[in-house]
Amino acid sequence: MAAYFIRRLLLVIPTLIGITVMVFVITRLVPGGPIERIILESRQMQSQAGGLAAGPAEQKQPLSEAQIAELRTYYGFDKPVFVSYLHWLSQVVRGDLGTSTRYYDPVWQMIAQRIPVSLYFGILTLILVYGVCIPLGIAKALRHQSGFDNLTSVAVFIGYAIPGWVVGVLLLMLFASVWEIFPLGELVSEDFPDFSAARKVLDLLWHTALPLTAYVCGSFAVMTLLMKNTLMDNLAADYVRTAVAKGLPFRRAVFRHALRNSLIPIATSFGNNVSVIVSGSFLIEKVFNINGMGLLGYESVVERDYPVVLGILVISAVLFLIGNILSDLCVAVVDPRVQFE
Amino acid sequence: MRFRLNPLTVQKIRRFRSIRRGYWSFWIFCLLILFSLAAELLVNDRAILVHYEGRFYWPTYGDPLPGRTFGLDYDYETDYRHLRRHLAAGRGAGWVLMPPVPYGPYSTDLRTDAFPPFAPSWSERHYLGTDTVGRDVLARLVYGFRIAIFFSLGLLAANYAIGVSIGCAMGYFGGRFDLFFQRVIEIWANMPFLYVVIIVSSIVVPSFALLIAIMAFFGWIGITWTMRTVTYKERTRDYVLAAQVLGASHGRIILRHILPNTVAVIVTYAPFSVASGIVALTSLDYLGFGLPPPTPSWGELLQQGWAYMSAWWIVAAVVGAMVVTLVTVTFIGEAVREAFDPKRYTVYE
Repeated sequence: MAAYFIRRLLLVIPTLIGITVMVFVITRLVPGGPIERIILESRQMQSQAGGLAAGPAEQKQPLSEAQIAELRTYYGFDKPVFVSYLHWLSQVVRGDLGTSTRYYDPVWQMIAQRIPVSLYFGILTLILVYGVCIPLGIAKALRHQSGFDNLTSVAVFIGYAIPGWVVGVLLLMLFASVWEIFPLGELVSEDFPDFSAARKVLDLLWHTALPLTAYVCGSFAVMTLLMKNTLMDNLAADYVRTAVAKGLPFRRAVFRHALRNSLIPIATSFGNNVSVIVSGSFLIEKVFNINGMGLLGYESVVERDYPVVLGILVISAVLFLIGNILSDLCVAVVDPRVQFE
Repeated sequence: MRFRLNPLTVQKIRRFRSIRRGYWSFWIFCLLILFSLAAELLVNDRAILVHYEGRFYWPTYGDPLPGRTFGLDYDYETDYRHLRRHLAAGRGAGWVLMPPVPYGPYSTDLRTDAFPPFAPSWSERHYLGTDTVGRDVLARLVYGFRIAIFFSLGLLAANYAIGVSIGCAMGYFGGRFDLFFQRVIEIWANMPFLYVVIIVSSIVVPSFALLIAIMAFFGWIGITWTMRTVTYKERTRDYVLAAQVLGASHGRIILRHILPNTVAVIVTYAPFSVASGIVALTSLDYLGFGLPPPTPSWGELLQQGWAYMSAWWIVAAVVGAMVVTLVTVTFIGEAVREAFDPKRYTVYE
């Protein structure tokens, strides 16, 4: 089995190179990079300073050829794509993700600043999702086709059908605009640093309520039904019948025997939870104006901040691929029947 | 009767009909699509029927009729709401029959005494109010629905055409081919989809077909993966072996033997794909990277509602429409899944 996981880990490398090569090449082929932005900015400055006096010819190109060449060297655009990719890759291998072309901050520092926000929402979501789905799934399986089962199915499916950010817009309109119970976005109040510790916690929770609702409301359906269906499969299995036949109370048969086997499919996706470090829906973060990873990724894409785009891509891809392997490992741990060759 | 339905299919249809929630959702959804196809007759700033000086006019479809046709003093397209008031005031012989909602998705209702957005009003026939430019929200919802649903169906067709063929091939041939495409899919799945959409829309204005092409470029992965697994399972079954022994070609085995056995999977996934297509288009429009304005779209309305929270009717209308559409589609999906893969349990208590 060790050989299997080593092979899986080694396969991460070509995948990672493939992903980054594709994005790197796209960044090179597409107009609107940092040089175009600087030219545009200096043109605006020129037209503000010179007003109408500047001729149209001068307005066309505010920077000289030499200046542009200098910029190209600075951003590494003078070298062929492949050479600068290798340069970038060698930096990444040494743990340096480069510098933002927009804010001139180290990319790693920009990402590290946002990680706590993503972790905060990610972990709260995880706790809520596992905490609700597993008991709900068990309850639904035990009361199959009862009124409770149908009602919760409808509720869970409605939550699943509507995207979280749309729920967010609705919540904002209802609770922040019409009734003014909760704040209009952001993660903390403006004078947060001056608050006492207790007030800080309350303020944070007050700001968390709406976005967290938007995050979780769609994530109940899949896991609840997975839990319900596997538990029902197991309840109908022969070993549970045997357990009941030999005189075990039904509840004990469910919780001692069927439930343990039913948790295996839940474990198959558990490893992917490592991605919470960089998770965060940019749509929800945009709706609520929260400065998390999602919003950072979105803004860097819109502003063509290539080093940040690539940096986030590398981190999230590594976490995703490792998460897949961890999931396999989880399965192997909880289910001794599974053999990876 | 050459085209008799397979008895198994008949049984599946019967099972689907027995699931009330999904069956009714299916009819509601079909009705919604039908109504949206006839949207020009129901929600339009062109009149359904004009009777003027002894002649009937049907302006809904066809070339626009200039104002002079009806004795008005301009050559551009007739303003039928104005014509209606004009004729009702007795300044001409005839009458105008307007659609229930007398506003088109592009027509702005500007007033001299107030600025949009206007709240819902029955007397103005803005049943759901207007947006921030003065366009009727209901009109934009209806036409936006039509675009979204056909976008989603188009995307579904494109995704499944690519996904089913590659997925089948991966599962059937296996080996190096399978391994190679596994890596391709892993790379593809990690590509920031939004990034490519934004880049493309900064170079060219995305049209309906182009947007489907871009999204299909990324959307084929899910169904490919599923089809691969299903084909992989089917391939080891005895009937495939028997076909191979009889000398059937690969193409024949895949098309005649394996594909019909995987239809259940394709059909089960389809409703959920339709829902996710609608959501994807709405999200892109919300961000401003979808279909170019002034195309009526739910995402663009949500963006307006988000920016002008006091105009609560915009958000309420769009969210209401999304809930109805997506929930019916999801219920259909749930019922289809149940019909194709019924789980009957016997529990001993």
